[in-house]
Amino acid sequence: MQVIESLKLKEKIYKEKLDNGLTVMIIPKKGIEKKYMIWGTNYGSNDSVFFVPGEEQETTVPNGVAHFLEHKLFEQANGTNSLDVLTSLGVDANAYTTNDHTAYLFEGTNNFYEAMDELMDYVQHPYFTDENVEKEKGIIGQEIMMYDDNPDWRVYLNVMKAMYHNNPIKIDITGTIETIEKIDKEILYKCYNTFYNPSNMLLIIAGDFEPNSILEEVKKRLIDKKSNGTIKRVYPEEPDEIAQKNIEQKLEVSRPLYAIGIKDKVIDSSLENKNEIIKKHLGVTMLLNLLVGTSSNLYQRLYKDGTMLTPPTIDYEFGRTYAHILVMGQSGNPELIYEEFKKEIENLKQNGIKEEDFNRIKKMFYGNYIKQYNDIVDISRIVLSDYFKGINSFDYLDEIETINVEYLEQLLKDVFKEEKMVISIVKN
Amino acid sequence: MENIKKEIKPGIKLHMIKSDKFKTNLIALFISSELTRENITKNALISTILRRGTKNMTTQEEISKQMEEMYGASYDSGIDKIGDNQVIKFYIETINDNYLPDKKENLLEKSLEKILEIAFNPYVENNEFKNEYVEQEKNFIQKIIEGKIDSKARYAFERCIEEMYKNEPYGLYKFGYIEDLEKINGKNLYEYYQQLIQNAKIDIFISGLIDEKIEEVIEKNENIKKLQAREAKYKIPITLKKDKKEENIITESMDVSQGKLLIGLDVNIEDPELRYDTLVYNALLGGTANSKLFQNVREKAHLAYVASSNYMRHKGNIIINCGIDIENYEKALDLVRVQIQDMKDEKFSGEDLNNVKTGIIDTIKTVKDEQDTQISYYFSQELCKEDVTIDEYIKKIENVTKEDVINIANKVSINTIYFLKN
Repeated sequence: MQVIESLKLKEKIYKEKLDNGLTVMIIPKKGIEKKYMIWGTNYGSNDSVFFVPGEEQETTVPNGVAHFLEHKLFEQANGTNSLDVLTSLGVDANAYTTNDHTAYLFEGTNNFYEAMDELMDYVQHPYFTDENVEKEKGIIGQEIMMYDDNPDWRVYLNVMKAMYHNNPIKIDITGTIETIEKIDKEILYKCYNTFYNPSNMLLIIAGDFEPNSILEEVKKRLIDKKSNGTIKRVYPEEPDEIAQKNIEQKLEVSRPLYAIGIKDKVIDSSLENKNEIIKKHLGVTMLLNLLVGTSSNLYQRLYKDGTMLTPPTIDYEFGRTYAHILVMGQSGNPELIYEEFKKEIENLKQNGIKEEDFNRIKKMFYGNYIKQYNDIVDISRIVLSDYFKGINSFDYLDEIETINVEYLEQLLKDVFKEEKMVISIVKN
Repeated sequence: MENIKKEIKPGIKLHMIKSDKFKTNLIALFISSELTRENITKNALISTILRRGTKNMTTQEEISKQMEEMYGASYDSGIDKIGDNQVIKFYIETINDNYLPDKKENLLEKSLEKILEIAFNPYVENNEFKNEYVEQEKNFIQKIIEGKIDSKARYAFERCIEEMYKNEPYGLYKFGYIEDLEKINGKNLYEYYQQLIQNAKIDIFISGLIDEKIEEVIEKNENIKKLQAREAKYKIPITLKKDKKEENIITESMDVSQGKLLIGLDVNIEDPELRYDTLVYNALLGGTANSKLFQNVREKAHLAYVASSNYMRHKGNIIINCGIDIENYEKALDLVRVQIQDMKDEKFSGEDLNNVKTGIIDTIKTVKDEQDTQISYYFSQELCKEDVTIDEYIKKIENVTKEDVINIANKVSINTIYFLKN
């Protein structure tokens, strides 16, 4: 097995690509009780137009299929539900869908191999009938309504709508009541057979394991399936410009929620560019910390006048087809925050970044990255999500060292542009 | 040894949890006092005013910068209700020596000194908290109280508890009340604060790569020296027989598309040992994906995405929670009643019982794999004046029988039905 090691983190990942195309990673950790398994596929809510390998005609499916599949895979032909079976084994099982991947997982201490049997069995054996598909529409419908009432989710989705004209990141991961109505078992099988091919998947096991023997356990449980090769996905053409400057929605909230977005250019994730993405991710989030982090001038100022009571959530989200900055929070006066944020960016561009501020933030980043790697569940999730973006998670810590003030100042000019900024507000 | 306890002074205890499994050291400091309407809002304010500055780090900005300088030490404070106590919580987390680029830093000692300084040596002017800070923090707490409505699920849960404990301490909202904020100023808040830190129960937990030297650091710390020995006033959480006869039915309206149905149950037991049986009962009723509620309300009737129940062990209640279509209120409520009855009628198998026990044991075993969970576990033991190790806890769960669960089922009654609709 290939060994990926981080000396700074004192962590190792054992990696193997099997003949059927499946990538397996083992993250061994001595002396802990907890064991974790996660199996993900490079398929999320953004992937609704694609070419089934071997077909000439492109396929378009309704929004919400990836999430619908996540719900339905648990159902077995013998009438049992795998979530129940896993729960019976005493492990904590779950699944989730994002815009670019779907994952099935469990954590536990006992019955690991039995749970592994079950998880690997149900992910490899879909069972969809007209009745069980219809039934699920009721449950997912309730889930959609739960998100409709969730102001955090609304303000997030709206900022996507403001930034993007066509990119599917602006649609609900669950789909809508109307789109899920169109889903049937044929659609589910088609998407399953396309995207749940081993060559499109990554399986991670973490815990107190010997890598080679646990790899054998994985192999034993794989059904005979051939790699179907690369799946061509079709994403709509997305202009560089934003779709609209602002967007507002009414919901019953005590104070307005806001999300400021800055649309960015996508970095091509080819091999030679891999670390460029990591460096940019680090650089942009460092800049955000300098601009609106806990120790920033702007936060301290706006805290005192009651405009910004907690530091905003800051993030740089990116995937195969999108990249943007997010600054989100709750405030009585989001418009003021927006204006002050823009001014602060201009100030920083004019005055430059102070060496002492930069060094402090860099130290913080070092510690924060170490802290993320405490728990095998967190480690596995980070590694899985980065893998589908074409990134080796361990590279982040080394990449911090390569960043300097000049790089940040250039990034500030290139990315933090007023014409790329939008704001989404949810209020009464 | 799992948790080494050491009394620093009467009423002030140090707990050391040694482990080399983590990349971080975590320190937690808890100040516990009785829940009262009089003090609840002040305690909430104290949890936030203290992060505004200390004698040696006079501004919030200075505190933040020093934390960043310590390789991003994460500092956090908060407020919690545990039984009839209000607990002000402080946490600080740093990376441990094994991961430090410069070993001379001694981050553990430094972070311990910082957290003690923040908690016990605040920034004051003329023997008062700075009024400007107090006014800003009052505004902050007011916004949090108003923000109660923002998460509908959380709001419905809080409302159900309020209704179940009307005119009792546990029914108080942990962040306090807007009308009580008015009377608070820098002077009376500081007076209250001094009285609080000299009388409350104080627990300090240190988890991670530590040795006995840390004990000495605490004993020699100036801020600790200033604290007097005390007979700490707090309430040991107990379970009670309520035997309430009538169901309290509350319906409220808000702009929601999904209805939230909360059903608060009393578990009418007095013997604290029966809490283990209750935990197993709750797992069967609504604690897992195999539970009666999840299976029947969600999977069979498709009425809900969320259908679960939670056991609040410090108060002896179980809270059932369902997110449903508003017109399905009657249907869902009837179905929930059937599940409660089915538990009394022994409609669960020995296999079901074994499965939930395995699940609970599995969760308990992983307590030592997470620092904050481990601290919460031992703090709960401390407050309840118990000393149950993780292995003993597992034994107690293993010993729960079908009869024990049925015994609990027959001691459960509905206290409050709360429905949030549009």
